[in-house]
Amino acid sequence: MNYEAIIVGAIVGVAAGWLVRRWVAAAKRRKEGGCAGDCGCSAKLKPKK
Amino acid sequence: MSQSDQSLLVALVGNPNTGKSTLFNALTGLRQRVGNYPGVTVARKSGTCDCGNGQKVELVDLPGLYSLAAASPDEQVVTDALAGNIAGDRQPDAVVMVVDATNLLRNLFLASQVAELGRPMVIVLNQSDVADKQGLHIDTALLSQRLGGVPVVLASAWKGEGVAEVRRGIATALAGRIQMKRVAWPAKIAAALTDVVQDAHRDTGKDVSSAEAQRLLFDAGNAHSDRLGWSQAQRDKSLRAARDKVRTSGYNPMAAEPLVHYAHLRALLEGVLREGSVRAGRSAAVDKLLLHRLVGPVLFTVIMLGLFASVFWLAKFPMQWIQFGVDWVKLTVAHSMDSTPMLQSLVADGIIGGVGAFLAFLPQILILFLFVGILEDSGYMARAAFIMDRMFSWCGLNGKSFVPMLSGFACAIPGLLSTRTIEDPKARLATAFVVPFMSCSARFPIYALMCAAFIGPIYGPGWESAVMVGMHCVGLLFAVPTAFVLTRFVLKVRPQPFVLELPRYQMPKPRDVLWRMWQNAAEFVSKAGTVIFAITIIVWALSYFPRDASVAERIKAANPAATEEGVKAKVQAAYVEQSYMGRFGKAVQPVFDPLGFDWKITVGVLASFPAREVIVSTLGVTYSVGEGAKADSQHLRHAMQDAKWQEGPRAGKPIFSLAAVLSLMVFFALCSQCGPTIATLAQESGGWKWAAASFVYMTALAWIVSALLYQVVIRLLP
Repeated sequence: MNYEAIIVGAIVGVAAGWLVRRWVAAAKRRKEGGCAGDCGCSAKLKPKK
Repeated sequence: MSQSDQSLLVALVGNPNTGKSTLFNALTGLRQRVGNYPGVTVARKSGTCDCGNGQKVELVDLPGLYSLAAASPDEQVVTDALAGNIAGDRQPDAVVMVVDATNLLRNLFLASQVAELGRPMVIVLNQSDVADKQGLHIDTALLSQRLGGVPVVLASAWKGEGVAEVRRGIATALAGRIQMKRVAWPAKIAAALTDVVQDAHRDTGKDVSSAEAQRLLFDAGNAHSDRLGWSQAQRDKSLRAARDKVRTSGYNPMAAEPLVHYAHLRALLEGVLREGSVRAGRSAAVDKLLLHRLVGPVLFTVIMLGLFASVFWLAKFPMQWIQFGVDWVKLTVAHSMDSTPMLQSLVADGIIGGVGAFLAFLPQILILFLFVGILEDSGYMARAAFIMDRMFSWCGLNGKSFVPMLSGFACAIPGLLSTRTIEDPKARLATAFVVPFMSCSARFPIYALMCAAFIGPIYGPGWESAVMVGMHCVGLLFAVPTAFVLTRFVLKVRPQPFVLELPRYQMPKPRDVLWRMWQNAAEFVSKAGTVIFAITIIVWALSYFPRDASVAERIKAANPAATEEGVKAKVQAAYVEQSYMGRFGKAVQPVFDPLGFDWKITVGVLASFPAREVIVSTLGVTYSVGEGAKADSQHLRHAMQDAKWQEGPRAGKPIFSLAAVLSLMVFFALCSQCGPTIATLAQESGGWKWAAASFVYMTALAWIVSALLYQVVIRLLP
C-alpha cells in the first residue's frame, strides 16, 4: 500500500472538507440573520417582529 | 443585589464622537475600533464591566446618534435596543449617557429623550480636560440636583480619568433606580400623547409606553407602528387627530419635541455652565490649512504618497527576513523529505511556498495599519472625509456615503455595514454598490508584489509609491461615475445635506493604535493559517495531479543530449501543464488573453474569486511546484521576472511586461473577488439582485478596462 498517497489524500481531503464546512456554516449564519462577513462575529441586528 | 450579577444590562449611549468607544474600552478592558468619524460603531459590542464594588454588569456599546427620531437603520437599532425590542436582547437596566462636556446643551437633548424611557441613568461628562482648556466650568453637583439626582461624572476616557467614578455611578444608579428628570410636556401635547397611547392600545391590544407614543407622534417614520402591528388606516386617523391637538397648542408637531426639550434643558442648565474666555483655536487654525479648498486636497495626496512610500521603505528589510526564514524552512523541510517526493512537494511547494508568499506581506500590513491608526486617532480621517465629500459630492451620493467608502479602504464588509448610517434607502443602496470598488487591504499584497517585482526595480522607489497610490485611486475613479449614473438615472436619489462633526485634533493613543495594528496582524496571520492554508493545499493538489510517469519517459527519449537538470526542469514544467489546474487554466486562458494573462495568471485570477488575496499564494504554488529544494530567496519574484511566453506571437517575450503588470493590478482593483462582500451586499440590500448586479458589473468592467489598458500599453511600450 502506498502510505505516502494515503497521507497526501487525507490532508487534501481534510482541507477540502474544512473549507466546505466553513462555507456551509457561513451560509447558515447569514440565513439566520447573522453577520455575513468572514469575521466570525455574532452581530445580529434583526429587530423583533 | 448580587455582587456579580451579570444578568444586569447597562447600555452606553451618546452622540457620535463623544468618546463612547474609548470609555467602553476603559470600562470593560476590551478593545474595539476607536474612530474619529461618525458611524464607526454599527454592530453590537458588549463586555463585562466591574462596578468597583465587586458587582459586574454587562455593558453594551450602542451606535452613536443625535436623536431617538430614528432615521437610519443604526439609529433604529438604538431605539429598539433601549426599548428592549431587539431579538434575543433584554431592555437595559440602566443607561450610561456619554455627553461631550464641551457641548452640553446639544448632547443633553438625547439624554432628555432617553430619560422618557424611564431607565436609571448616569451622565458622563466626557472630554472634561478639553472643556477645562476651553475655560468651561460645569457645576456637576448642581447639574445632578437639577437632573433629579442622577450621578453626574466628569471624565476624560482618553486619559483614563474619571473611569472609577463612572463605575461607582453605575452601581449607584442601579441600586437607587435613579432616573433623570423628565420633560414637562405642555398640557395639549401631553393630552395628545395620552390619546395615542389609548388609541394604539384599543386598536392593537398592546400596551404602549409614553416613550413609544412620542416616537409615533413626533417621527415621520412608521417603524414603531410596524412593530405594534397597528393598521395604517387606524394609525393615520389617530395620529392626525393627535397632531391637530398639538397644533392647537401653537407647536408644529414635527418641531414640538426639540423645542420643548431644549426649553426644558436651558432652564436646567441655568447657572450650571460658566463659559470662560478661552476658545478652541488651535484646531480651527490647523483646519484652515488642511481643509483649504486647494491646499487641502494637495496635502491629502502628499500624506497618502508619504504613507505608502513609508510602508515600502520600512517594510523592505523585515520582508526580506521573513522571505529568508521561509526559504530556510522550505529547504530544510524539503531535504528531510527526499524519500517521499509527493509529500515533499505538498509541504515545501504547496504549504510553505503558498502560505510563505502570503505571510511575507505581514510587515507591510502592520506598518500600513499603524499609519492608518495614527491618522484616524489624530482626527485627520474625518478631515479626509470632508475633503472627499467636497470633491465628489457632485456625483449625487449622500454626504454620509464617504464614511462607508473610507471604511471600504480597509475592508468592504464594515464599509457595507456602516451604510446603515444613511437614512435614504436609495442613497444607502447606491453607496453599498460602490463601496466594493474601494481598494481594500486584501488587494494590497498583489499591488505590493507587482510593484516590488516590476515597478520598483525598473522605475525606482518613487514610481513604486506613485503606482501604489494610483492603484488605490483606480476604484474611486470608477466608483464616482458609477455612483453618478446610479443616483441620477437608475435610483433617482434626491440630494441630501451632509453634516459632519469634525473631532478635535489629538495625539493618537499608542495603546489603541498598537492594539488595532495587532488585531489586523492577528487577522492576517489567522487567515494565512486557516483559509489560505486550506486553499493552497487544494491549489497544490490541482497543480500536482495527475502525474503520468510516461511524460517523464517521453521527454527523456525526446531529449537524449540534455543534461539531467535540463530534463528534470522540462519534466516538471510538463507535469504542471498537464495537471488539472494546468488544463483548466489553458482552457480558460483565451478569455484572459486580451488582458495579457498566461495560463498561470489565469489560474491565480480564477482561484481568487472567493477571496482576492489568494492570488499571491496561488502564484506562489504554481510558480514553485516542482522546484522543491531549489528555491532561492525572493523566489516568486524571480520566477515571475523570468517567466516567458512559450508559444504564439509573443514567444520568448516576458509574460510580466509593464502592460501585463498594470493590467493585472487594474483587474484586481476593479473586479468583484470577495465572497463575503457579495453575501453582505445581498444581506444589506435585502436580496441577491443587487449583489449579482454588482458582481457582473465589476467583473465585466475589470475585464474591459484591463484589456483596453493592456492593448494600449503593449502598443506604446512593446
